[in-house]
Amino acid sequence: MSGAEPLRAPAGWSEPARLAPPALGYWAGAFRKLLRNPSALASFAVLMLIVLVCAAAPYYARDVSHTDPFASNVGGSIMVGGKSVDVLQQATNGLGLGLTPIGPLWRFGPYALGADDQGRDVAARLLYGGRNSLLIGVASTLICLSLATLTGLVAGFFGGLTDRVISILLDILWAFPIYLLAISLSIVLINQSLVIGPLQITGSSLALPILIIGVVYVPYVARPIRGQVLSLRNSEFVLAATGLGVPRFRILWRDILPNVLSTVIVFAPLMMALNILTEAALSFLSVGVQPPAASWGTIIRDGEGLLYTQPMVAVAPGIAIVLTVLALNILGDGLRDALDPRAKLRI
Amino acid sequence: MQGRGPWAEVTGFVVRRLLHMLFVLVGISATVFLIFFATPGADPAARIAGRNATPDTVAAVRREFGLDKPLPVQYAMMMDHLLVTRDLTSFVNRGERIVPEIAEAAPVTLSLVLGAAAIWVVFGVLVGVVAAAFKDTVIDRGLMVAGLVGVSVPVFWLGEVVNLITQSRLHDTFLFSWVPALGYVPLSQNPLGWFAALVLPWITLAVLYIGIYGRVLRANLIEALNEDYIRTARAKGLSDWQVLTRHALRCSLISFVTMFGLDFGALVGGGALLTEVVFGLQGVGALTYRALEDLDLPMIMATVIYASFFVVVSNAAVDILYAAIDPRVRER
Amino acid sequence: MRLHRIGALAAAFVLGAFPAMAAPSGPHYGGTIRLVAAAAEGTMDPQVNYTLKYWQLFPFLYDGLVTFKKAGGTDAFTIVPDLAESIPTPADGGKTYVFTLRKGIKFSNGQTLTADDVRATFVRLFKVLNPNAGAWYNVIEGGDACVKTPASCTLPGVVADDAAGTVTFHLVQPDSEFLDQLAVPFGSIVPASTPAKDMGTTPIPGTGAYMIKSYDPNRGIVMVRNPYFKQWSADAQPWGYVDEIDYNFGLTPDAQVTAIENGQDDWMFDNIPVDRLNEVATRYTKQLHLNPLLAYFYLTLNVNLAPFSNEDARLAVAYAINRADLVKLYGGPALATPSCQVLPPGMPGYAPYCPYTMNPGSKWSAPDMAKAKALMAKSGTAGQAVTIITQTIDPYRAIGVYLQSVLNELGYKASVKAISPDIEFTYLQNTKNKVQIGVTDWYQDYPAPSDFLNVLYSCANFHPGSDTSINMPGFCDKSIDAEMQKAMTLSLTDAAGANKIWAQVDRMVTDQSPTVTMFNPKHADFVSKRVGNFVFSGQVYFQPELAWVK
Repeated sequence: MSGAEPLRAPAGWSEPARLAPPALGYWAGAFRKLLRNPSALASFAVLMLIVLVCAAAPYYARDVSHTDPFASNVGGSIMVGGKSVDVLQQATNGLGLGLTPIGPLWRFGPYALGADDQGRDVAARLLYGGRNSLLIGVASTLICLSLATLTGLVAGFFGGLTDRVISILLDILWAFPIYLLAISLSIVLINQSLVIGPLQITGSSLALPILIIGVVYVPYVARPIRGQVLSLRNSEFVLAATGLGVPRFRILWRDILPNVLSTVIVFAPLMMALNILTEAALSFLSVGVQPPAASWGTIIRDGEGLLYTQPMVAVAPGIAIVLTVLALNILGDGLRDALDPRAKLRI
Repeated sequence: MQGRGPWAEVTGFVVRRLLHMLFVLVGISATVFLIFFATPGADPAARIAGRNATPDTVAAVRREFGLDKPLPVQYAMMMDHLLVTRDLTSFVNRGERIVPEIAEAAPVTLSLVLGAAAIWVVFGVLVGVVAAAFKDTVIDRGLMVAGLVGVSVPVFWLGEVVNLITQSRLHDTFLFSWVPALGYVPLSQNPLGWFAALVLPWITLAVLYIGIYGRVLRANLIEALNEDYIRTARAKGLSDWQVLTRHALRCSLISFVTMFGLDFGALVGGGALLTEVVFGLQGVGALTYRALEDLDLPMIMATVIYASFFVVVSNAAVDILYAAIDPRVRER
Repeated sequence: MRLHRIGALAAAFVLGAFPAMAAPSGPHYGGTIRLVAAAAEGTMDPQVNYTLKYWQLFPFLYDGLVTFKKAGGTDAFTIVPDLAESIPTPADGGKTYVFTLRKGIKFSNGQTLTADDVRATFVRLFKVLNPNAGAWYNVIEGGDACVKTPASCTLPGVVADDAAGTVTFHLVQPDSEFLDQLAVPFGSIVPASTPAKDMGTTPIPGTGAYMIKSYDPNRGIVMVRNPYFKQWSADAQPWGYVDEIDYNFGLTPDAQVTAIENGQDDWMFDNIPVDRLNEVATRYTKQLHLNPLLAYFYLTLNVNLAPFSNEDARLAVAYAINRADLVKLYGGPALATPSCQVLPPGMPGYAPYCPYTMNPGSKWSAPDMAKAKALMAKSGTAGQAVTIITQTIDPYRAIGVYLQSVLNELGYKASVKAISPDIEFTYLQNTKNKVQIGVTDWYQDYPAPSDFLNVLYSCANFHPGSDTSINMPGFCDKSIDAEMQKAMTLSLTDAAGANKIWAQVDRMVTDQSPTVTMFNPKHADFVSKRVGNFVFSGQVYFQPELAWVK
C-alpha cells in the first residue's frame, strides 16, 4: 500500500527513550500533560463524535432515511417536493442509455447524500460503513499490538535461538511488500474459509480483514520493541536487578513491560490510523469488506463507477476517512509528547 | 574477535547480510507459492484449457504444464523457468512471457516513482526546514497540520478526486484542458506527453511523503539545534539560517537518506500499486494487482520476488550503511 | 543514421521480393484504424484462443475451408465456401465431406496453400489441446484417440490429396454442426510447418487479407495488409478498406471513452461504463451503434444442492426477480430486453415463451412476488443460507448484490461472493466448489440452438468432480436429452422440423428452471467520428476491416 509506508521505523531504532523504570507518578504526569494539549483533546472529541454518530447508524436508517441500507432499491422512487422521483433515473434523452442515481438532497431525511448504484441511501451506508471501518481499525490494532509486544518481548528478552527464529520470521514478513501480502491473503481467504481450530471464518466475515491487517503490520511494531527490550536488558538497572537475583519473569513483568508499554500506547492511535487506511485500500480493491456490508473503502469503490455523474458517493466516505485518520494522528502526536517525547516514530 | 580490523568486520557483516537476504527471498517465494496453490477453485489447468474444455483436454494440459507433479517439484520448475531459462509464461495469457512483461512495466513504475520522489524530497526538505526555522509559530503549526493531512489522505481517494476535477469537472476549462486521458506515454516516444501524463500521479503519490518527510525532518532539525556543537556554531556568530542549513540539516541527512532508501525501494518494487491502478498506469504495481486478481501464479511469483527484492536490497543497503557508520550494529 | 540506412535497405529487399500486389484503390481505401481495449486476451494462436476479442480479428487474418459470410446482421450466419471452392454435399449418410481447395492461395509468408496444410492443421488442433477438441472435433474419425493421447495423434479421418487438391473428412457419425465448427476460427488453416504447440505471442502465417506484424500482450497488436493476398471471394475474405489495423492495450474503459470522444482511437472493445453511457448516447448519438446479440445473462441454480434442488425454490426465484430492474443495472431498456427462456431472439428455433411473469405468455411484464412467496412456502426452504457467486466487475457485481436482496426477501440468508472475472467461469463449473447460485452469461459460438441447449443442459456436459462441468446447474433429464438427440439428427435433413423440436426443448428446460434467464443483452459499439461503413456481423460483431477511416 502506498499509504501504508509511514510506520516503517528507521533501521537505527534501538535507542530506548528512558532507561529507568517509570515511576508511579509517570502515568499521572503524562495524563496531565495530555489534558493540557488542546489539539489532542479536540481530536479526541472529534473521534468520539464520529464513533457516536456511526454507532447511531441503525437509528438513522430507521428514523431518518427510512430505507434498508443493505437492500437494493433499483426500481424504487421517493417523494421530492411533492413529486415522485425514481431513485435510479433512466436517461431519457439521446438513445435513452445509462442510469443515474439520485443526487444529494442535502436535507435531514432520505437520500441526504444521494443514492448509490443499487439505489441505497449513501448517508445511511456511510454510518454503517463507519462502524465497520472503526471496528476493523480498533480490533486489528489490538491484535497487532498484542502480537507485536509478545514477540518483541520474547525475542528481545530471551535472545538466542528464540530470537533468531522470531527475527527470521519477522524479516520475511517485513520484506514482503505489505500491500502484496495483505491482498494475497485476502484474495485467497475470501475464496475459501479459514479454519483455526474450532473457529471457522468465512469469506464474508469481518474477522478476515481484521486478522489480515492485524498480522501484516506485526513486524513494524515488533522490531522496534525488540530493539528496545534488547537495550533495556543490557541497561544498568536490569543488570543490577539480575545481579541481585531477581527472577527473570519478575524483571520482565516489573521492569521491562512498563517501559515498553508507553511505546505501545504511543503506537496505538498511529497504528489504528494506518489500519483504517489499509482497510480502505483493501476494500477499494474489493478484497476487504464484502457486500452487502459496507465500509468506507467499499463505498468509495461503489462510487468509483459514478465518479463523474454522482461524485458524492465516493467523496463523502473519503472525507470521513481523512477526518478520522487525521484525528487519530493528532491524538498520537499528543500521546507521544506526553509519554515519550523522544520516541522515533515516523509521522 | 582480536586481530580483525574494522573492514574485515564490515565485510563479514555484508556477507552475512547477503546470505540472510537470499534466505528471506526464498522464504517469501515459497510462502507465496503455497498460499496460491492452496486455493481451491483456482485450478490453473482448467483456465489454461479454456472454456468448454472436456476433462480429457484439461488432464492433458495438466500433464503438459507439469501441474500433476508434487508441489516441491512444481516450485523448483517454476523458479527454474523464472530465473534460469527466463521463459516462464503466464497461466492466463498463454504464451505471454513473464520476464519481458515485468521489464516493460518497470520503466512506468520507475518514471512514476522518480518524479514523485523528486517532488517529495524538494517539498519535504522545504517544509521541514521552514517549519523548524519558524518553530512554534503559526507557520510551523500550519505546515505540521498540513503535513498530517497529507499523511491521512488515502492515496487512491486523492487520485479519484484529482481525476474527478481534472478529467471531468474542470477538464474543459483553461486550468486542466492540457490533462491527457489516463494512461502512460513512454518518455522516448513523446517527452512532453510523458510529463503531462505523469505530473498529476507524481503529485498525488508525493503528498503522503511530503507530509512524512517534512515532519521527520523538522523533528530531527529541532533535536540537532539543541546539540552542543550547534550552540558553539551559533556562539561563533553564524546566523540562524546558516546554522540551520549548514550544520543541522547536514547531520539530519543520514536518517533522511535511510528513510528515502527504504521508501524508494518499496515503491520501485510495486508499492505504488494504488496510484498506478487509479491513474491507469501499467506499472509493476498494476501488473501485480492484475495477476493477483486473476490468480495468475507465475506472474504473482515473479512480481512478488521482484518487489521483495527491492525491499530486501534497500533494507540491506541501509543496514550495511549503518554498520559502516556504527560498529555496535555489526555484532547482531 | 546507420540504423536508418540498414532499415531502408532491408525494406527495399523485402519489397522487391513481394509479388506485384493488386492493391485496391478507391475513395475510402487506406489509412489506419485504431482499436483499443483494456487488456490483451492471451495467445494469438487461432487454434487455441477462445475469446471474443480475438475471434473478432481471426476472420480477416485466417481462412477456414468454409467461413461465415462477411456481412452485417443475421446475413453473417450464412456459411460460405472460403478456401474450398464450394460447400460439399456430404456423402455416406452425412459422414463424408470432400472439399476441393481453390488454387493459388498463398500464406502471408509466401508459401502456397496445399491439401496437406489442411490435414496438418486438424492434427495440430488436437496436439495443441484445442479447448473443444473433445467436444466438437472428436467427431472426426480417430479424434477420440487424439484427445486421449495428443502427442501420437495421426487423425486418419482427414485425408489429403495434394495432386487433386482435395481434402476428405470421415466422421464417426453425421453432425449437423460440422460446417459451423469448421467455420469458426479453430478451423483456421495454418501452414503444415507450424510447430504443434501453442504459439503464444508468435504470429502464425495466415491466408487472410491482413497479417500480424507484431503482438505484445502488454502493448498491442499491429496488423497490416498481407502482401500475398488476392481477393477470391468478397463474401469469404474481402479486401479491407484500411491499410493497417492497430490494436492498443492498457486503457481503462473510462479512458477509452475519452480517447474515442477526442478522436485518438477509433473503436473500443470494452463495454462503455454505465456512468458514461448517458454522455455518449446524448452527445455522440451518431457514433454509437446498438446491435442485438445471440446471448443471455442468467442465474445458474444447482439442482443437486439445497435449497435449489427443490424445484419450487427455483421457480420462486424465477418469479421473484424483477427483470426490469436487472435491465436497468445493465444500462437500460435500450441495451437489454427481459427474457425468461434459454434461446435468444434471432436464434433458429426461438419461439417467445415466458411463464415467470405477472401475465404468463410470450413476454415478461412484471415479477409475481405473491406467487414466488407461495412457492417458497411450499418448498419449505426458507431460512437456509445461500451464497451467490458473481464477478467483481459490473454489471455482474451489481446483479449479485441485487439478487442478494431478492433472496433475502424470499426468506433466505443470502451472502455474495464476488470473484475475479477471470476465475468465476471455471469456479462455477467446478462441482467441488458447491456453488448454490451464480451469475453468468453465455454468448453463442455459432448460431445453432444446440450451442445453448445441448452444451449447457445435456447430461453429457455434466462432469461431477471436474473443473469443466459446463452444465453448471448439474441438470440431467433423460427425456430432454432424447429430444435434443432427435433434433440434432433431424436437422441434417429437415432444419425447420428440428427447430420445432428445439423450441419444445427450450420450453421444457425453462419450465424446470435449472437456470433463471434475466435478459438478452445488446452490444453498444462506440466509434470515432471518422469511422464510416460500420458493419456489425451477428457472428463476429464489429468488423474493422470493412470500416473505413477516409
